[in-house]
Amino acid sequence: MKMRIDGREIEVRSGETIMEAARRAGISIPALCYHEAFGGQGHCRMCMVEVQAGGVTRLVVSCTYPVTREVEVKTSTPAIEKIRRDIVTLLYKRAPDSDFMERLYHSYGCSDNTLHANLGERCIMCRLCVRACEEMGVSAIAAVSRGTDKRIATPYDEASPDCIGCGACADICPTGAIEVIEKGSRRVIWNKVFEMADCQRCGRPFATLAQLEYLESRLDRDVVKQRLCSNCRRKEVVGKVRRYNASLPFV
Amino acid sequence: MNKSPVNNPDARLVLVCCGTGCIANGGLDVYRALQNELNGDEGVRVDAVTKGTGCHGMCARGPFVRIMPDDINYCQVKVSDVREIVEKTLHGGEVIKRLLFRDPRSKKTVKSHRDIDFYKRQHKIALRNVGVIDPASIEDYMARDGYQSLRKALFTMTPSQVIDEVVKAGLRGRGGAGFPTGLKWKACAAVDRLPRFIVCNGDEGDPGAFMDESVMEGDPHSILEGMAICAYAIGASAGFIYVRDEYAQSVASLGKAIEDARRHGFLGKNILGTALSFDIEIVRGGGAFVCGEETALLASIEGNVGEPRDKYVFPTERGLWGQPTVINNVETWANIPFIIHQGAASFASIGTAGSKGTKVFSVVGKVANTGLVEVPMGTTLREIIFDIAGGIPNGRKFKAVQTGGPSGGCIPESLLDLEVDFDSLARVGSMMGSGGMIVMDDRTCMVEVARYYLNFLAGESCGKCVPCREGIRRFGEILTRICQGKGTVDDLNLLESLSETVQSASLCALGRTAPNPVLSTLKYFREEYLEHIIRHRCPAGICKELTEFYIDPEFCNGCGLCAKMCPSQGIAGAKKQAHTIDQSKCIKCGECVDVCRFMAVKVR
Repeated sequence: MKMRIDGREIEVRSGETIMEAARRAGISIPALCYHEAFGGQGHCRMCMVEVQAGGVTRLVVSCTYPVTREVEVKTSTPAIEKIRRDIVTLLYKRAPDSDFMERLYHSYGCSDNTLHANLGERCIMCRLCVRACEEMGVSAIAAVSRGTDKRIATPYDEASPDCIGCGACADICPTGAIEVIEKGSRRVIWNKVFEMADCQRCGRPFATLAQLEYLESRLDRDVVKQRLCSNCRRKEVVGKVRRYNASLPFV
Repeated sequence: MNKSPVNNPDARLVLVCCGTGCIANGGLDVYRALQNELNGDEGVRVDAVTKGTGCHGMCARGPFVRIMPDDINYCQVKVSDVREIVEKTLHGGEVIKRLLFRDPRSKKTVKSHRDIDFYKRQHKIALRNVGVIDPASIEDYMARDGYQSLRKALFTMTPSQVIDEVVKAGLRGRGGAGFPTGLKWKACAAVDRLPRFIVCNGDEGDPGAFMDESVMEGDPHSILEGMAICAYAIGASAGFIYVRDEYAQSVASLGKAIEDARRHGFLGKNILGTALSFDIEIVRGGGAFVCGEETALLASIEGNVGEPRDKYVFPTERGLWGQPTVINNVETWANIPFIIHQGAASFASIGTAGSKGTKVFSVVGKVANTGLVEVPMGTTLREIIFDIAGGIPNGRKFKAVQTGGPSGGCIPESLLDLEVDFDSLARVGSMMGSGGMIVMDDRTCMVEVARYYLNFLAGESCGKCVPCREGIRRFGEILTRICQGKGTVDDLNLLESLSETVQSASLCALGRTAPNPVLSTLKYFREEYLEHIIRHRCPAGICKELTEFYIDPEFCNGCGLCAKMCPSQGIAGAKKQAHTIDQSKCIKCGECVDVCRFMAVKVR
């Protein structure tokens, strides 16, 4: 199936979203809540595009709109750019402490002097953290409450028994909104204190004990029998490959 | 046990309204007192049957007692009136004038409900049985042709004939969006995946709206019959009724109805001996307004957080648990048996070109007779507000009517002759919604009204998408500063510009319609915004920071009522002399304005 996007003709699989097809063809559509690992969420509305299908033109969200027939897509029009500027403005005013949002605000040429800046806030509610936590199989955090009060939290803001302190949420957060404090052999995240495990090779604390135990419970023990940091694990693998290659008869 | 009036034609029938509104005013006590009085050993023996019914509609005047076939309509009946009703009316055949309805305009008493303007001008289809039958009695429903439509569909029509009939009737969804019901069914039936599901949306959440509640409480079988007919038409095996959590009486009434329908073979395996098997389950909502949005509602039934999703694929194709699903509103379902029984042509002969049939409105706010009104599509706002609901009380002036729930728009006096249907309301910047109508008088500040609705929506948005969550927050912020006299003219441009984005980029209908209260008040009451911004004055005397009341000595006759009612003792004056307000004591509550019968208290 074909789809015309910004004048270019690209190949689409039926049912695939506009965002997926565009990214495969190397066309980027701005987005804040999209991650290729999770697919579209439809929260941020930055990725709105204009779709023409069967004589009807409308604005759709490219990360959730499935292509099921021939469509013509424009990723940028004056109307779309205005929406994006408004969204960036609204999010910057919500999370003015985020450098990421500040850069975006300036790069989109937004200007607003009247809306109240919500000082101290960094979260833009893209919920990538929630999706990451879900993918880890843990689901310790979620979007709680409703309306303008909606926010990301553990149940009742208490230390969650499910949280393994892996920090995947903080890693994926585009605005640095999730606080991770690491001090010596301790990590504090989501109001919960974790003991860290030291790398068996370099001795650096690299993961929480809870995370390693969780992984061990889910994976083949052999895979995680050595507790190594990512650097040392790489060295270990490279060494293994070298030894294996050396053991091969020279061809 | 009471004898059925069907079997005993000589018996008088005493209908007592036991809708939620009347129960709140003691309707249930009146009902019990009447039963005791009629069935007890003491007192007069009268051949009469007492029936607790659903809502009679005119809730402001409840509790109602209607005596048939004499056709005597008593309102605001108290337990202390019961013995007199039994002795004088039921036994002696005498009408108690004191309890009759008094027309607010002609000041005359009216004996029969048929002669009351409020009822006379209505045309009941969805509410045909509400207030007439005992909702707990399936026999009552069947005595009024109940389940005849299901029989007719099952034994004389093919599924596609049923769908065609609904298409031809031109019925559009009564939940708000107005999507043609027949086309929805057709689309769902065309998806070749089983099982298919049917859902009834009873998550009525608009402030001041209770149309669906009255049907669920007062005529639950009409919903069940409508759903069973649809099950036959599209080949569905299971149905769900999603009821707002606050509606305990609806849940009880529907629950009883489902059990009775099963016992009579109208629900369950092999309905009426045919191959159709279909059953219905009640799901109680969790208290979120947004769950009235269909995709959020489906998520909620599935046990997920009630958040909507983008509807590029409709629920008819991917609905409940990913299966093809028809979801219709309570009032829509209640129309179905009528359409099948009377035929599409009969239904389509009522209404306007684009909107067929009738619509139930809950008319509340500043009107003489608040309550439920069912009128043909195309009835004008003026007829509904003035002729049926009795106009604005206390000699005040009509200012605006807000239709369509919290994200509807405010319609000004100049558009009172608008013929109400789905399209006309959308054209003037409001919407049909589920049929809420809030009437406002000249003591209403339109900026404050917009602020009120946006604050409501700020709490009830699901908070998933940015334009709705963050946009509504900013509407609230800007409107609040205008109400405090801190707004600028640029704020009006900002409101309009933000509205565009919220309308076009929000995920669901809640967000896309959220700017309506702002845009419609800006369109029709811009002057009032400018008064707040430029002259720092709230003409209606509502925004406290911008209001100063004074007493016009030309109008004040010194009756002293305002001084008596003033909660801060801020009004003084000699008897029969013009009074004055001490501004240092005034808390701007407006009580003096509301109580003054001579319109002497004014806003500076």
